[in-house]
Amino acid sequence: MTMDRRTVLGLGGVAAAGVALAPGLTLIAAPPPDKSEASGDQRWAMLIDVTKCESNCTACTRACRQENNVPLFGDPTRDIHWIRKLEIRDKDHRRPSVSLPVLCNHCENPPCAHVCPTEATFIRKDGIVLVDKHRCIGCRYCMLACPYKARSLVYHKTEFPEGGNPNVPIRAKGVVEKCTFCVHLVDDGKQPACVQACGHAGHKAMIFGDLNDPKSEIAMRIREVKTQTIREDLGLKPHVHYQGL
Amino acid sequence: MRSLPSYPARFPLLLVLVWAIFVLPSVVLASGTPDHDASANSHPSYAGGPPQLEKAKGESCIRETEWMRRNHMDFLKHRRAETVRQGVRIRSESLLKCAECHQSHEKFCDQCHGYVSASPDCFECHVYPK
Repeated sequence: MTMDRRTVLGLGGVAAAGVALAPGLTLIAAPPPDKSEASGDQRWAMLIDVTKCESNCTACTRACRQENNVPLFGDPTRDIHWIRKLEIRDKDHRRPSVSLPVLCNHCENPPCAHVCPTEATFIRKDGIVLVDKHRCIGCRYCMLACPYKARSLVYHKTEFPEGGNPNVPIRAKGVVEKCTFCVHLVDDGKQPACVQACGHAGHKAMIFGDLNDPKSEIAMRIREVKTQTIREDLGLKPHVHYQGL
Repeated sequence: MRSLPSYPARFPLLLVLVWAIFVLPSVVLASGTPDHDASANSHPSYAGGPPQLEKAKGESCIRETEWMRRNHMDFLKHRRAETVRQGVRIRSESLLKCAECHQSHEKFCDQCHGYVSASPDCFECHVYPK
């Protein structure tokens, strides 16, 4: 594609107007470009404010199942969980119990990817750890390697649910799967389904964004507030941060 | 202890082996092979020649029809790896877009796949919108 001088100047003016309005704020949400690619300039991460998470709320887990067509088999030992709610209690009752969602931590040093014999699990340039289900042989090494129990094996054949989301394929029996940070939404410039649902439920306990962008909400919060990751001692550099844990 | 038979005693056995390896196969092959073509043509659904595909709705495909006929499988597989692993998304050429023109999977894809006895399993998991 070639552009003449006038077009280039015009585009520059539009870009300048967008910057002048407010950083990170555009008047109309632009549709995603026709072609996009994961880039190392971004590092996607999540921050969960545990103090805002309600113990009886399951908006995030329900939204995840709906968005990603994750079925419930009704058997607790075989069910697939991409995100699950945990209740942490102090045995001596000195501290109040806290409720928090746990999902794949999209580690910078993912042990699941290191043990995968077929390189089905990999880390994308933008830091999202994914399972290429076309390559997964279902050996479950990754399930043993993950310290967060974030992975599930698909034990049964699944069907496309009534009113399911056509943008996310279902899975074959015998592959391992996990949270993808809703990669299909992130690539379109949207937020993951759980983060959206938490906002709609009025809690706004979860935020998602680019750590490499110093002006993003998540980067600012992580700079200003004390946050933790689960099992920091393992050195995996997880990218799901918790506040108030 | 019994000794091994001497060379003259083993000779007929060698002769039989050589005959079995070199002569027998050529005799069998020359006697004629069963006619596979006749059995294929007698299949009820393909008696009238290759399958007739449902006409696509749009004006033109994203590539030349001839090229797509020959290369769509490599095209899809290549794109599959790029999309999953590098996050390359070309929205106007996504798999879901195929269904905007080729509206019936059964009347388009399955027709040829059945004829050539290919069974790709893409749509065991991916959704072909109706």
